[in-house]
Amino acid sequence: MNPTEEELVQQLNQPAHRAGAFSGIVRTYQERLYWHIRKMVLSHEDANDVLQNTFMKAWNGLDGFRGESQISTWLYRIATNETLTFLTNKRMRNQSSIDDVEEILLQNLKADNYFNGNEIQLKLQKAILTLPEKQRLVFNMKYFDDITYDQMEAILGTSVGALKASYHFAVKKIEKLLSEED
Amino acid sequence: MKNKKNILIEEMSKDLPFGVPENYFNQFALRIEEQIGYKKTIFRKGFRAWMYMAAMFIGILIMGQVFYTVNRNNATKNAENYETYVLSQVDENSLVDMYVDEPAKNK
Repeated sequence: MNPTEEELVQQLNQPAHRAGAFSGIVRTYQERLYWHIRKMVLSHEDANDVLQNTFMKAWNGLDGFRGESQISTWLYRIATNETLTFLTNKRMRNQSSIDDVEEILLQNLKADNYFNGNEIQLKLQKAILTLPEKQRLVFNMKYFDDITYDQMEAILGTSVGALKASYHFAVKKIEKLLSEED
Repeated sequence: MKNKKNILIEEMSKDLPFGVPENYFNQFALRIEEQIGYKKTIFRKGFRAWMYMAAMFIGILIMGQVFYTVNRNNATKNAENYETYVLSQVDENSLVDMYVDEPAKNK
């Protein structure tokens, strides 16, 4: 039987059980977090790096986790921060490049061996990439993962009203882009 | 000029067009476990099971040895007891007669 959230938090606070409990957490949340990150960075290799950083940050910051928020919320927060940091660093590294980061991400996606989408899916990804990063996060979390606004508020620290507005405008923009044929 | 057709994203497939290498998530978890110094559970469980089996086997061997030794001791003791019993049933004079007379008869 899998331990409850409360039992996991207790085990995390006991040095003898800490690694075992954390291993359980990795196995429970790795897929969800991977897709959360992958939708933002698009390539598998980058998602793999960011996911690894996420779990290592969580492991090193276990002393700071007191169980005030849910484990999933805490992990999503770290993953989101790591993803945004990764994109900022990529942006800074490519400052001298003619293409912006979104264009580079799109090129990487097209070349990625693990992208198996059709033309319309590629067009959707391209349209999503035109959104500002934070709005892209909101759109992905709501559209693909159907995360509730309350959960998103806990993860992103943005009010429900602002999240709803952000999602609404994102949908309008994407639909407009997809409706325009070249 | 751009043609327009109304597309509603809620009517589109929400399947993600991404894949991952085979067995990726299992390998990933193992890599993290290695980094945090957590020994593979499967190995530990398997090792423990072998240890239990070996301990059981040794236990059976020891019990067998003890049982065999006790049995042998009992058999020896029983034989000695029987001899003592037989001797106790014969009176001393008859015994003396037997030991003194028998060699004489055999001559």
